[in-house]
Amino acid sequence: MSDKVIPLNVIPDQGGHTVTIEGREYLVMNDAMYTFYQRSMGEFSEFFLALRDEKKIIGCRCSVCGIVRVPPFVTRCPDCNFAPTETVEMGDTGKMLATPPITYFANSLFQQQVPFGRGRIFLEGADTAMSINFYTTLGILVPGLVKKGTAMKVVFRDERIGAITDIFCVPAVELTSEQLAKKGLLASELDWETSVEPDLPAADPQDKEHFGSVLQQLKALAVEMNSCERARKDIAEWHRTVAVKATGGEFTIRIADGNFSIEPVKTEKSDFVMVSPDPKVVLDGLAYQGSLTQAIMTRDLWISKNVEFNTIFKLERMARSLARSKKV
Amino acid sequence: MANRVGIVGAAVTPFRGKWHEKTYYELAQMATADALADAGMELKEIDGVFYGIYNDIFERTCIPEHPLQGIIGLQNKYGMRISNGGATGAYTISAAHAYVAAGRFKAVLVLGVEKATDCFDFQSMSATPEVIKTIGWSGDSFFEQKLGWTASDSYAEVVLAYKDEHPNDLKPEVTARISALFSEQVRSNNFAQRQFDQVTPEEVLNSRIVVEPFKELEICVYSEGAAALVLAEEETAREISKRTGQPIVWITGLGESNEHSFAGRNHKIMHRIMSDHIAANQAYKMAGIKDPLKSIDIVEVHDAFVHQLEITMAEMGFVPFGRADSLVEDGIIMPGGPLILNPCGGLIYSGHAVGASNIMSAWSARNELIRRRMKTALVHGTGSTIAQYGVAIVIEHD
Repeated sequence: MSDKVIPLNVIPDQGGHTVTIEGREYLVMNDAMYTFYQRSMGEFSEFFLALRDEKKIIGCRCSVCGIVRVPPFVTRCPDCNFAPTETVEMGDTGKMLATPPITYFANSLFQQQVPFGRGRIFLEGADTAMSINFYTTLGILVPGLVKKGTAMKVVFRDERIGAITDIFCVPAVELTSEQLAKKGLLASELDWETSVEPDLPAADPQDKEHFGSVLQQLKALAVEMNSCERARKDIAEWHRTVAVKATGGEFTIRIADGNFSIEPVKTEKSDFVMVSPDPKVVLDGLAYQGSLTQAIMTRDLWISKNVEFNTIFKLERMARSLARSKKV
Repeated sequence: MANRVGIVGAAVTPFRGKWHEKTYYELAQMATADALADAGMELKEIDGVFYGIYNDIFERTCIPEHPLQGIIGLQNKYGMRISNGGATGAYTISAAHAYVAAGRFKAVLVLGVEKATDCFDFQSMSATPEVIKTIGWSGDSFFEQKLGWTASDSYAEVVLAYKDEHPNDLKPEVTARISALFSEQVRSNNFAQRQFDQVTPEEVLNSRIVVEPFKELEICVYSEGAAALVLAEEETAREISKRTGQPIVWITGLGESNEHSFAGRNHKIMHRIMSDHIAANQAYKMAGIKDPLKSIDIVEVHDAFVHQLEITMAEMGFVPFGRADSLVEDGIIMPGGPLILNPCGGLIYSGHAVGASNIMSAWSARNELIRRRMKTALVHGTGSTIAQYGVAIVIEHD
């Protein structure tokens, strides 16, 4: 079956449920607003067709002031009394306008893609900067890899549909000189490093003692989590088995529809793996004395699947819920 | 010569993360009834209504204001809806002011309402990702939406560009202290979504990163609620003031600016929020303010993000560029300092019921001026992609 404009798995069932507040029942209905389009790309057709069919990026140059706008979002220059603009072909290298943001908690359409970056690239010869996704071929995207002025190369997806997502960019420094020079470089021509689980140092008796102490604290925390209604709600209808590996030992985090448990055994069948030299990183994140996301960004914590940032967010929400409940 | 325009009544509903008990119809009615009661007025004295409703998708209705006209009892009278992104509420006050100042009406209602968290994501079984998606439809639809554009990542673009120019400003420990300060100030706002969610700077620092560099406790929370003001021209305002015994708070300065939504030469300057700068200077000029830090006692800034709030305060002339952290480091906004900033707790703790938010800020600023017997306040709104829209409104105690 071909891809749908609305993924089938995001569509809720018909129906609803009731919520009781102060003894009264209120109805909550599953619902949606949806509109389908055959949307004309009009004057932008040339730009999108060039991406799709020719692996080229088109800009427009004002016939009076010479400003080059990319993408070509005007056919007449508003700065020159609406003088006509002409199409120009741009190169596919450039520099970032400013240090670009990285999204860790995305909207529901992009949750499977976090973390991802969106910045603005000044293609060579352009006066405006084009919004573009950026990635790294070297693992999880963390701040500092791409900054203001970082040289970038535009890469074309192998399967293109005539949309702005047909392209993205990567730091030029990650490419060979041949790749940099190649026009219309394809994503499949890049070396995407596969996820490699980091090695942990051999544990000495002190590490094992530390691991044992942290594990006890985690188990106590799990008891508190399970007695906190707000924290339980944060993992309602969520099921995950997480294998956690640290210097000194391994354990399992199990999330089962509101129940949170720490099991002092390693599991072979996990949904994903967490690796941290210091198990306290996990403890601090769950105890709201640190941030799991921050630990991933600083490479103090490694996770095997980007998509499981969703689970990380749920765990962090639980941590905050428990911390809040203790204050009340 | 324009008529003077005063705020003679104001009200808000409680802002909540979820109002299962009310639709936006009843929220609108609650705020209207309470604002009229505050002004001691009857419906027949109101000539028309200006609705601030940001997003049709939140209300699950296109032209969401049409059912409200009769529900709030203003059938057969003037009604216009304003929608300007996050700055919707401030723009709504601005529009209402213009009509009253021009002599079209004697007294009008400014009504903001939003039901932001009915949206729900059935994959994560939580509202927030769907709320963010709904706002995501506001990004440029040809070149940006499909890239994962969100309000957070677009404001982060501005903040990170500012940090490129001023790397020693907007320090994490300062943004954390501002958030913690607002969490203390919100205690006195009985209508706030997070009235009793006090946090320490350490908790802010430890909260999760949403979009780098924004942490969860440095971002406004989406909310459901309504807010209303009654604006009147001078003669009517004075008559109402006599009736209620409440002083009039005059609107003495307004400024509005929308920047370019693309960046580059002759376009958006990414490390600036020129919309705030231009709007504030227009408002100051109209109100005769030369030095805002000397003349203004209370500021209600639209704190979509603490970092943006700091830049906005620099753009509005309260602190120098590159030294926005002096808000905290020089004690400007700290207890006992010369400026009261977001006494309502800001949108981070009061909640962001988008179309109602800036109207709630005006409600707070007006009430605080009266309660504290102070002279001048500034109300601010920001919105759209890359902080494109800015509105500043100066209000003064009679």
